[in-house]
Amino acid sequence: MKFKKQIFGFMDMLRFTKLVPNRREALANGADITLPKEYRTNRLAERLHPGYMQVELTEVRELTPNMHALTFRRTDADAFPFFRAGQYVSLQGKVGDSLVSRPYSIASSPREALENKLTLGIEDAGFFSKFLCHEAKPGDTFVMAEPTGEFHYETLRDKKQIVCIAGGSGITPCLSMAKSRFEGDEDYEMTLFYGVRDRAHIAFREELEALAAKGLKIVYVLSDEEAEGYEHGFVSAALLEKYVDVHNVSFFLCGPQAMYKFVLGELSKYNLPIKAVRKDATCCGDLAIDNPKTYTLTVHMRDQVFTIPAKENETLLVAMERAGLNAPNKCRAGGCGYCHSKWLNGEFKIADGRDGRREADRKFGFIHPCVTYPLSDLEIDVPVAY
Amino acid sequence: MNREAAKSYDVVVIGAGNGGLAAAIRVLQGGFSCLLLEKHNLPGGFATSFKRGRFEFEASLHELNDFGSPQEPGEIRTLFRDLGVEDKIDWLRIPEAYHLITTDKKYDCEMPFGVDAFINKMEEYCPGSRKSVTEFFELCNEVRAAQDYSNKVNGNTDSDYMKSHFPNFIKAGSYSVNEVLDALHMPKKAQDILNAYWCYLGVDCDRMSFLHYGSMVIRYITRDAWMPKMRSHEISLAFDARIRELGGDIWYQSEASEIRTDDQNNIVGVVLTDGTLIKTNHVIADCSPHTVFGKMMDKKSVSEKVVRATNARTFAGRGFSLFLGLNKTAEELGIKSHNYFIYDTADTVKQYEMMKKLETNHVQATVCLNNAFPGCSPEGTCMMYFTTLIMSDDWGNVTETDYFKAKDRIADDMIRVFERETGCQIRDAIEEISVASPTTYARYCGHPQGVIYGYEAADWDSLMPRMMMLKEDAELFPGLRFAGGYAMRASGYSSAYVSGDLSGRQTVGDLKKEAEAK
Repeated sequence: MKFKKQIFGFMDMLRFTKLVPNRREALANGADITLPKEYRTNRLAERLHPGYMQVELTEVRELTPNMHALTFRRTDADAFPFFRAGQYVSLQGKVGDSLVSRPYSIASSPREALENKLTLGIEDAGFFSKFLCHEAKPGDTFVMAEPTGEFHYETLRDKKQIVCIAGGSGITPCLSMAKSRFEGDEDYEMTLFYGVRDRAHIAFREELEALAAKGLKIVYVLSDEEAEGYEHGFVSAALLEKYVDVHNVSFFLCGPQAMYKFVLGELSKYNLPIKAVRKDATCCGDLAIDNPKTYTLTVHMRDQVFTIPAKENETLLVAMERAGLNAPNKCRAGGCGYCHSKWLNGEFKIADGRDGRREADRKFGFIHPCVTYPLSDLEIDVPVAY
Repeated sequence: MNREAAKSYDVVVIGAGNGGLAAAIRVLQGGFSCLLLEKHNLPGGFATSFKRGRFEFEASLHELNDFGSPQEPGEIRTLFRDLGVEDKIDWLRIPEAYHLITTDKKYDCEMPFGVDAFINKMEEYCPGSRKSVTEFFELCNEVRAAQDYSNKVNGNTDSDYMKSHFPNFIKAGSYSVNEVLDALHMPKKAQDILNAYWCYLGVDCDRMSFLHYGSMVIRYITRDAWMPKMRSHEISLAFDARIRELGGDIWYQSEASEIRTDDQNNIVGVVLTDGTLIKTNHVIADCSPHTVFGKMMDKKSVSEKVVRATNARTFAGRGFSLFLGLNKTAEELGIKSHNYFIYDTADTVKQYEMMKKLETNHVQATVCLNNAFPGCSPEGTCMMYFTTLIMSDDWGNVTETDYFKAKDRIADDMIRVFERETGCQIRDAIEEISVASPTTYARYCGHPQGVIYGYEAADWDSLMPRMMMLKEDAELFPGLRFAGGYAMRASGYSSAYVSGDLSGRQTVGDLKKEAEAK
């Protein structure tokens, strides 16, 4: 074929030879004004996802005999990011020689975060939590990772009616979800089942009552006490049916493993689709091993190499924290992938049911140290958190 | 903290996107030391995957262009072979070219791979199109042959040879897609159907160079399209593995904030956000020149010529994607195709204008991965991803408190349009959902305004003059070369890999010349 656009074919050729001079001219004629340093979309990205934030503890409040509310403010900015109610932050602090992080659900609403106030509900349970509840003082500084997590309402997936089932400190994200609903940022109708031992263990009582006055449906379920106006026992199928149409709601569960086991057992009889039941992740703990062995863990971080002990009953992340290494982590449940690291040598095992790696991670030898235990001496390459 | 890294490097590559990954391998293969810096904790940039519930979603790849079969490899498979990553990846072939739907003209056309099959199908949809479509492919073949020649001589083409061997390439070379299709007297409907791929390049067909489009279309239609089984994350980790094999260093979670220069404006190092200085004299930047010259370099090192050349360029589309994990199979939902292009209008110029506003943009390039790879999600499920481009900074108007709702509004619209145009009801089957907005792309990859297509390859800044000025552009700042969507080959997976290949090899050339001069 012979392609011709102009009547005279050589004109087409001539145009081709002008491509470079045209571009050269256009580049030379660009504006001589300072190139932008900022763009609106990127500024929003930085506000919503600031990464690690510098924070100061402003208030410690006892909620129940085993739960505290800790409130923080940012010292590196004038507001926390807006987030999706139900999400958590990872709080990091130095305790002795260890550099420890834990994920905590946010009790504040997303609007309160914008006022530079972020309250976390912390159960007085583990190593870091005990430190936070009893030793941390207003004025102490910490590093906090941005709000994150998938335990939140999804407008296009979930039913308009939602049922939150909270156990113990699991009330925290549910409180945020309720607040956010009444601040107009979420548009679900929410029923809250709150299971606790007795009335003395009800956390955030005042906040919850205030929300109930606005229309939040709350069902308190006491396991160890009988009282008028309170349900007694556990959150059973019968109890759920008394208050909600189980087939026409989305469930959000947040609480201890025992509660998940019980409630999921109760729900199983309804054959609900997977999408109907969301549950918040729980941290991966130690393995029950008598006289655990200690292995050597070699950690490459950029151009540094650390040789540290790693107990066989503790995750690689815990070993790195004990050694004061600044290894990235957020969910500590194997799912978020933030601790993604390269395995180099040695044997390991992953906590049952917690292998949240991508398929290709398994193929190419990447691990999530937050759910990985050593089975021999081990060598890994880990990014520096910040 | 102001520490200096233990080692200095011949080359520091900023950004482990597709371009940066390829560039790093080329530098290492050339025998030089290389550090690859990445601000995220994963390689790949857009080429990655993420998990939600029981689904692992592909983050961006629809199909790899110019890959070809092992027996008849295309440019990209050959490149992957040379880089030493081809065998590290399990590949799968995409079954059909595309399913075009347009709202205005009610097109509903399923196009196959293979030139003959494509021409026959086109004749079915648009009787009388055979001659012009055949000529289109002949012209494309000449374009491809000319480009192969140009690559073989590293861009130093002999103009007499070009004129005698590829006259049509030169004659058609300065025209837009539509100008060429008109000159071929292609019926309008055939033009519309043929132009369906335009959103992959993000420029309407009045302003998109025929050479650019034609060379892409011929590669898709003759060499099929391929992708890795474990999502594009498999490619990115294969590159990571290869870089480690070759003795290269990769630092994740390590954002470069500054390219440091001396009094003579020579590059002397790269500085991380925590203050760590890494000494080097050569940088390959897999990010935008806007970011490098506007943010990462001392203003006094950036000449007026560089400022003008950077300001002259236009940002291409900002990305928006919706990912759905569905609790029914594609068959149950009636989703038959792998790759849908759904447009408001077949008129690309009009469509491009509509894509400037969030409210008027209903374009989607939508993939149901199970129709190419049934095993990509658990039994009884399927997954889909929907992508559109925003052709202005309209997303920049979204406020922080409206952010989540703004994402949901567009996602909701994507589902609505897909259901309306295909008749497949998917909404009730949503088990997992995730949305990536321009803010998401800005967050993970740092691109200005959440742009995912680099600079618009339109009019004067189209592919051909970019390639012809490759050497000249690099001379703007010695010691610095670019890779990725903003570079000479424009955007897209294949283009990004090729740009990294080119910039990597050329940096090796620079280093060798320096060594000889000493």
